[in-house]
Amino acid sequence: MSWQTIKTLSGRLLIVLFLLVMAIITLTPMLLAVLNSFKTNGEIYTNILSLPTTWQINNYIDVFRKTHYLRSLMNTVFLVVLSVSGIVFVSSLAGYKLARTKTRLSQALFVVFILSMLIPFHSIMIGLVRVANQLKVQGSLWGLALIYVGIGSPMAIFFYHGFTKNVPREIEEAAMIDGCNGLQLYFRIVFPLLRPITYTIVILNTLWIWNDFLLPLLMISNREKHTLLLSTQALFGQYSANWSQILAILIMAMLPVMIVYLFIQKHIVSGIAEGALKS
Amino acid sequence: MSSKNRSLLLYCFPALLLYGTFVLYPAVGGFWYSLTNWNGLNPTYDYVGFANYRELLTDHVFHRALRFTLRYVLYMVILQNALALILAIIIENLRRGKGLFRTIFFFPNMISMIVGGFIWLFIFTRAFPFFANAFGIAILGQSWIGNPQYAFYSILILSLWGSVGYLMVIYIAALQNVPRALVENARIDGANDWQINWHIVRPLIAHAVTIGIFISLFSSFKVFDQVYALTGGGPGRSTQVVSLNIFTEAFAMRSRYGYASAKAVILFLIIMVITCVQLLVMKRKEVEL
Amino acid sequence: MKKMLISFMMLVSFLALSACGTRGDADTIELNVFMSFPRFQEEFEAYFLLFEQKMLEEEGIKVKVNLEMASSDTAQQLLQARLSSNDAPDVYTLHAIADIPAYYEAGYLADLSDAAFTDLVFESVLESVTYADKILALPLESLAWGYLYNKDIFTQYDLTPPQTLSEMEHVVSVLQENDQTPFLLAFQESWIPQLMMALALGAMVNSEAPNFIDNMNAGTGSYADIAEVFDIIDLIMANGTDRAFETGGASGSADFANGAAAMWVQGPWMSGSILEVNPDMNIGLAPLPVTNNEGTTMINLSTSTSLGVSPTSENKDLAIKLLNFILDPEHSSDLFSSLKFAPLASVHEYETFPWIDEAMTYVEAGKAYLERPLPPGVTDETAVALQEYYLGDKTRQQVIDAIDNAWRSAVD
Repeated sequence: MSWQTIKTLSGRLLIVLFLLVMAIITLTPMLLAVLNSFKTNGEIYTNILSLPTTWQINNYIDVFRKTHYLRSLMNTVFLVVLSVSGIVFVSSLAGYKLARTKTRLSQALFVVFILSMLIPFHSIMIGLVRVANQLKVQGSLWGLALIYVGIGSPMAIFFYHGFTKNVPREIEEAAMIDGCNGLQLYFRIVFPLLRPITYTIVILNTLWIWNDFLLPLLMISNREKHTLLLSTQALFGQYSANWSQILAILIMAMLPVMIVYLFIQKHIVSGIAEGALKS
Repeated sequence: MSSKNRSLLLYCFPALLLYGTFVLYPAVGGFWYSLTNWNGLNPTYDYVGFANYRELLTDHVFHRALRFTLRYVLYMVILQNALALILAIIIENLRRGKGLFRTIFFFPNMISMIVGGFIWLFIFTRAFPFFANAFGIAILGQSWIGNPQYAFYSILILSLWGSVGYLMVIYIAALQNVPRALVENARIDGANDWQINWHIVRPLIAHAVTIGIFISLFSSFKVFDQVYALTGGGPGRSTQVVSLNIFTEAFAMRSRYGYASAKAVILFLIIMVITCVQLLVMKRKEVEL
Repeated sequence: MKKMLISFMMLVSFLALSACGTRGDADTIELNVFMSFPRFQEEFEAYFLLFEQKMLEEEGIKVKVNLEMASSDTAQQLLQARLSSNDAPDVYTLHAIADIPAYYEAGYLADLSDAAFTDLVFESVLESVTYADKILALPLESLAWGYLYNKDIFTQYDLTPPQTLSEMEHVVSVLQENDQTPFLLAFQESWIPQLMMALALGAMVNSEAPNFIDNMNAGTGSYADIAEVFDIIDLIMANGTDRAFETGGASGSADFANGAAAMWVQGPWMSGSILEVNPDMNIGLAPLPVTNNEGTTMINLSTSTSLGVSPTSENKDLAIKLLNFILDPEHSSDLFSSLKFAPLASVHEYETFPWIDEAMTYVEAGKAYLERPLPPGVTDETAVALQEYYLGDKTRQQVIDAIDNAWRSAVD
């Protein structure tokens, strides 16, 4: 074995070691949280790493019952599906047309949309609650979805705009010659072409809305309409210093996302990467 | 109006309607409040011109929050991109386990930072002191939440944990777009790994780096959830970032909604200027390469 | 992939829509109640069910109480956003002394002077929810508080609650000699260190510095005039538990219950969480000495959480009935004793708690004062400034300047 190979080998070993350490750091918090959520609070205080003497499943049963887990889950899914479809619909229309129209108006509109991505949410918060209240969209998941469409569309438009620029015009022009016009052209030809970026937008917005907390808190007061994050956080105050129960709440809040991620992580990861690069 | 513009408006109408109602209108309202002394509660308030902005010039608490945020942004932009790029390069060069590692590192991005923040709070306040005692690792025994110096790094660790995977995925995709043939040819010509990375790969992923820096600039200026969940800006105000400062000014502290709105306008302007400069500079560099 | 996605979405929207289908009857009156008592969620839920039953049986009205429980760190912004956007809940909790003036001036509190409950509440407590000659809220938490101490530890070292600052120094040194940490420091949440100033300031204002608040409001005063308050604060900070900034109210209760310290500057509102951890704990309550003048050592009497009614409520009569029901002769005692609240109305006949009785012995001896409101923002500034003081970020003078400034900008 030459000196050179030993050097490369040990270099490789170091690199793999680094990777493993990083992976452990990434996973440990989650694993510790899961492990300790099954212990009693006393066991947590004595030893973080020990296995539970008896597995405290009651923590989870409690959370499941008190959060009305299935109802909250359904509310969240409903909200996310509605908002994300809305975002995809309105932004693909706007983003595509903005990229295809070269007038001063189109440039101005684009800049207005993009600039608003920089507005910190807290500065529109009170105004937003007022508008929502005046329009009577407050307190309903439908209304909340409309607001999400309004807030989420600038970024989606930005993505659709960038992506459309890379789609050759020839296909549309050919379709136009075949007699397709306006919206027909859009739905039959353009929207399918935008599919890769649509995946990205669906994933990014699903993650955002699923994990968003402050806006639902402001808009939804009726507990029957609470989202998962809202109903889990409502439990926080009840279990003050009890880490084992708090951890169970946290795990339950993450569970749906974790399961979905394990099944379709490939699509999620590639969707995000391509979207960012192509726009 | 030209027919082009008419059809443009038609296509943009649904987006414009919702965006105008739920973003633009409240945002303009926010700017208007920044010129008043509204307390967020009373039905009436007075127009005070630019008094709020003048007061900002001498507000040490705000200046401190601004400095803290800038320091955080600086660390985040560098560390987030460096770590993501290193991980991407290593993973891309693995023969086995690419998918597994990518899955692991991206995983925290799926979690709400409020939830992730609480999990790390558990790690910092319960697990670290335990490890310090059990394995004699003194550094872990520090007060990670209670000591301002360490609290900064706690926030940084949580933020990196939750965001490195996102950029890593983008960098992996960019690396995959580097043509294999180009790399192979260079290797035949006798270039070593380092030379290949610097001369061939670097220019080709410059675009991805622009995007990566843009994303981390943009998100770390608005950082809120991580700090809120972990330290709440404390101890004292030592880890208060600008968005949290705005938040407490508007609701918790003195209920000076008008003044808080002025701060929000300033934050908006800062983010706008910095991201625009970044995009312009990096775009020019990309072209040069 | 796409087909899967579409069918999944359709399934989900179907399920969600069908879930929305189960709504109440049209003749049900909904009453929105906003509270910031997450730890009492179950108690209040059960109590409001009783109210719904009573309304159905006695008046034939179907009522549904929608209780929104906000956690203490989001409650204020949430309520404020609701109120200022004309989306006020029918009934909501607010702090009697700190909030009533501002909320009333802004037009968010209905006049409740004619409500039936006003005849039941003790005169002294009613005073604290009266502003501009109107009764504006139903008091829930009436407090007589100072600091909490661990009676067993005090007995063990043969100590009694000190009545002057030097006696307190003696207690501290005895405890230190026996390796017992004197004070619990739970400074993670800024309202807790603030309690020290609230007690010390209250004591000074009601004894040696009676003109302090007026001077401050007139712009001629300064906290430097009552710098003595820092003596006791320094003593506590120098003799407290470690990791103060990692300990919040909840974990502080657990530590205190487990005997981590002999004393905790904290009100009786924490007794529930303390007893939950250690049901056998002997909690004592005593007034905090501030100077060597025994006359400044007094119990603070105040009313905190109260229930107000929105003047724009569409169901104001029903909302007032709900308030009256809180003092229902049949059920109220059970509610208040399960919440570990002090009795505040003639209908309250339940055994009080030893620490409340202990506080009342001081009150009966005249060693007590009624809390006075400070301008908005002063308390919050004090809270953070004291955290920074403990951290070493601010000197005593800087704390004084910061609070003076907050006061000035509030009364300007």
